[in-house]
Amino acid sequence: MLCYNSIMLSNAPLLSAAHLSLRIGGADILSDVSLAVRPGEIVTLIGPNGSGKTTLLRALLGLLQATGAIARKPGLRIGYVPQNFPRDRSLPLTVGRFMRLFADGPAVAAALVRVDAADLRGRQLSALSGGELARVLLARAIAGKPELLILDEPLAGVDVAGEAALYHLIAQIRDEIGCGVLLVSHDLHVVMAQADRVVCLNHHVCCEGSAEQVVTDPAFARLFGPRVASELALYVHRHDPAHQDYVHG
Amino acid sequence: MDDFLWRAMLGAGLLGAAAGPIGCFVLWRRMAYLGESIAHMGLLGAAIGLLMGVAPLLGVSVLAIVAALLMARAGDGLIPAGTFIGIVGHVGLALGFILLAGMETVRTDLLGYLFGDVLALSNTDLMGIAAASVAVLLASVFFWRAWLMATVNGDIARAEGRTNRFADIAFLVLVAALVAFGLRVVGALLIVALLIIPPAAARPLSRTPGGMACLAALIGALSAPLGLAAAYLKDLPAGPAIVLAAAVLFVLSTLGAGAATMLSARR
Repeated sequence: MLCYNSIMLSNAPLLSAAHLSLRIGGADILSDVSLAVRPGEIVTLIGPNGSGKTTLLRALLGLLQATGAIARKPGLRIGYVPQNFPRDRSLPLTVGRFMRLFADGPAVAAALVRVDAADLRGRQLSALSGGELARVLLARAIAGKPELLILDEPLAGVDVAGEAALYHLIAQIRDEIGCGVLLVSHDLHVVMAQADRVVCLNHHVCCEGSAEQVVTDPAFARLFGPRVASELALYVHRHDPAHQDYVHG
Repeated sequence: MDDFLWRAMLGAGLLGAAAGPIGCFVLWRRMAYLGESIAHMGLLGAAIGLLMGVAPLLGVSVLAIVAALLMARAGDGLIPAGTFIGIVGHVGLALGFILLAGMETVRTDLLGYLFGDVLALSNTDLMGIAAASVAVLLASVFFWRAWLMATVNGDIARAEGRTNRFADIAFLVLVAALVAFGLRVVGALLIVALLIIPPAAARPLSRTPGGMACLAALIGALSAPLGLAAAYLKDLPAGPAIVLAAAVLFVLSTLGAGAATMLSARR
């Protein structure tokens, strides 16, 4: 399955975590979570609300302190799209200027074109719709040519059709710049169609593997219910890239 | 024109100019409350300075900077940051008041610490304010990018390793320094107005952060001669008059921008 970048997959991890645990207010938010992302690989984190997905990402990024070991490739360039991006109308900032804070002009222009948002360049950041903001934030994250893209539910506010397109775009960008991708999402269908590896989280790692392996795992059915599991199993089978003519790029 | 008026105009104008760009960040980061608490602690600093027989400004500066760093580090640990900041600031205000009230000789100065005494600036005061203002303006240029990045989204900056710990500390120290020097000009109760109102007046007329900062500096500087002129002509307290002048500029810019939008919408 998905063998076109199997050579890259054999590389050492960009980011890895071993036995991460985090307690907040007496509750185990994360317990003994281990995870690694390798170059060129899309790892998707799924799990019910409140299962610790965002907390895990924030711990991996160093925004939260957790116990356990986190190892980064030295000098790792990360592109991060946070779950929340509060905007304040008191700050006048165009999309172009916002992006120029993080990357040079040509890279900004190319990244905006890549996510089909070149026309947003002169717009005020605070005036963007949710879907437009999602694309701009993705453009910002890829403008710096990251080795690892970390996306925390990057699609809140994006409609279903836009969501599928954006996931497809993320996979294409991965192919182009060869970055690893770690993303959190709630939409199981789109996730299953694009991920190389799925990690199912409910404070601990319930199951992980390829989409096919995960949906047939008994732990997955326990987490999401048997109905969702069997429906997704069918879906994953139909959307398996090996079963269809699927042209990248 | 009298010397004291020149000193007042220069001191307040320079301070207003320096407060503009920094005030933009205070506005964008919604840190007005922190600024007020720093100013309240500054009053305690002035009282301690007087009590120990050192220059009040030294006490104000030291306590304001310590308070700024302490409150910024409070985070959301044991108690929410907002609660902590509010308590520390008001404890400072209350303690400062009690200490000052105990000193018979300075009792009359109390109003000066609360609302400023810009007409009583000495040449030494003026030199201090000028030095502080220039330093703040230079630092604003130097740290601009780092501050703006942290303002737009602190999480992204931190996650991608773009933070500059020194820039964060410098920001707090500079806010504290401005508040400390501003205590002489508009007082502990009104200093935050000089940080907030000129940027708010600049906002409707700006399309970029840099433009807003420059315009805020200009409006801050302009408020001083306008306020002092009103104070001179109508015999008003000088510090509050400067703040009111800034507020008038805010109203004018907001109404003007609103009218321009309506006109262009009609066309």
